[in-house]
Amino acid sequence: MKLAPITFLLTLTLSPFIQATPAVEELFTQYRQKGIQEFSADLGKNLYFQEFKLAGTGEIRQCADCHTPDLRAQGQHAETGKIIEPLAPSINRQRLLDIKEINKWLKRNCKWTLGRECTAQEKGNLLTFIQTQ
Amino acid sequence: MISPVRIWDLPTRFFHWLLVTHFTLAWLTAGDSRYLDFHVFFGYGFLGLLLFRLLWGVIGSHYARFSSFCYSYSAVIKFLTTPSSFSNLGHTPAGSWAIWALLFLGFLVSGSGLLTLGALNQLGPLEGYFNFAQGDLFHWVHTSTAWSLLGLVILHLSGVILASRIHRESLIWAMITGFKNTTCLNEQSVPQHPLIAYSLLLFILISAGGYFQGRLFQNPNYQPFPSPPLPQLSLWQSECEDCHLAYHPTLLPQRSWQQIFAEQHNHFEEDLSLDEDTLQQLKQFAFQYPAESNLTKTAWKTHSTLSSSQIPLRITQTPYWREQHQTIAWKQDSNFPAKLDCVACHQDAESGRFTAAAMRLPTATDFPPSR
Repeated sequence: MKLAPITFLLTLTLSPFIQATPAVEELFTQYRQKGIQEFSADLGKNLYFQEFKLAGTGEIRQCADCHTPDLRAQGQHAETGKIIEPLAPSINRQRLLDIKEINKWLKRNCKWTLGRECTAQEKGNLLTFIQTQ
Repeated sequence: MISPVRIWDLPTRFFHWLLVTHFTLAWLTAGDSRYLDFHVFFGYGFLGLLLFRLLWGVIGSHYARFSSFCYSYSAVIKFLTTPSSFSNLGHTPAGSWAIWALLFLGFLVSGSGLLTLGALNQLGPLEGYFNFAQGDLFHWVHTSTAWSLLGLVILHLSGVILASRIHRESLIWAMITGFKNTTCLNEQSVPQHPLIAYSLLLFILISAGGYFQGRLFQNPNYQPFPSPPLPQLSLWQSECEDCHLAYHPTLLPQRSWQQIFAEQHNHFEEDLSLDEDTLQQLKQFAFQYPAESNLTKTAWKTHSTLSSSQIPLRITQTPYWREQHQTIAWKQDSNFPAKLDCVACHQDAESGRFTAAAMRLPTATDFPPSR
């Protein structure tokens, strides 16, 4: 636990230097064209842990349900139990490389978790948060 | 003076007891498909023994030859009404008819077994000649003739016990030692033919060794009947395996796939958002090889047991799935495999075949209950 504040500080200081992948860079450009000024890793983190109540059943969902609170850990599909490889690019080099893949999962998983598609601002924040991991 | 005379040569006795063994073991391994390879082996052995007996009935020693126990119907009636009128060391007229019937039924059982194997399991020398509907018929013939054979065995045994009591001489013991007692000094012992008998035994043992070496020496995932792969589509596998096992299209009828793709925006609460190109490729694959394509026994059973009004969206909703899994006591325990986790028991689930012989029920140590 002692390491937590240090890691946090380190992440904070290093975050401007974290290189976005070409795919993420391209997506950022697209989002900026829609008028988004800035992307925030903190807001992305908040969204990642935010709990959403489903309109129909009242079921509560969040990203961490499947991807676990630690993005460096292996997750598990909430319904099927299928293993989900870690989201964090520092652990899983396959992450954030393919625009098509990123769009597919942002769309599918926002709909499942939030009950709607994410806005360009929310997607930008999430990607910013994920790439620091 | 009473003296023992050998009437059953060694090959005849070996044949008899080997046939008993094969029938018993085939009976015990029937029905449970995990032991299909055992059942099939004993079936082949049973058929081989019958063929040997046909040969031995022509070239064997005196009492083993068919010519020595070829009795007419009237001879049987005469024997049954006045048994004392008959004096011959070999088969009695009634006994001989039992032998003929046993041989005939034996061929029916093993023949229909081979047909079932070829049609229902798509295995063996007759693979590919028949469809699954014919396979169901063959299977019915196979089981009913097997039960008839069991009935005949019981009749045969009753006759043996009855005759043993009447003659005060155990016929079962005679089939073990080969000797019967006689007062007639003209009777001579038949030759033993040990070489042929031991060759027969050795042949069966070597065959068994070759047939079961995979079970004996290979890994626990050994599959006795490796089957050719079903058609696969890599896009199907990658898209499905995003979230779950890529259930092969043969596991649901075409109308189910139609509806599943029509509802792709609410696929078990997930919006798949498949693009048009992906969707078309997946549809084409599913519509080409749905359950109705009859590519596997599972496919045939799945759609032929469905009523035409049913459109199951889960494989677990199909009557065939339910029937096949009804004996499993599902537990809510998180370590107990879920119903969608086919791979936990079916080693060939990913291929889509679901052959009976590729099934391995997990033991308690594979899935210890969680605390």
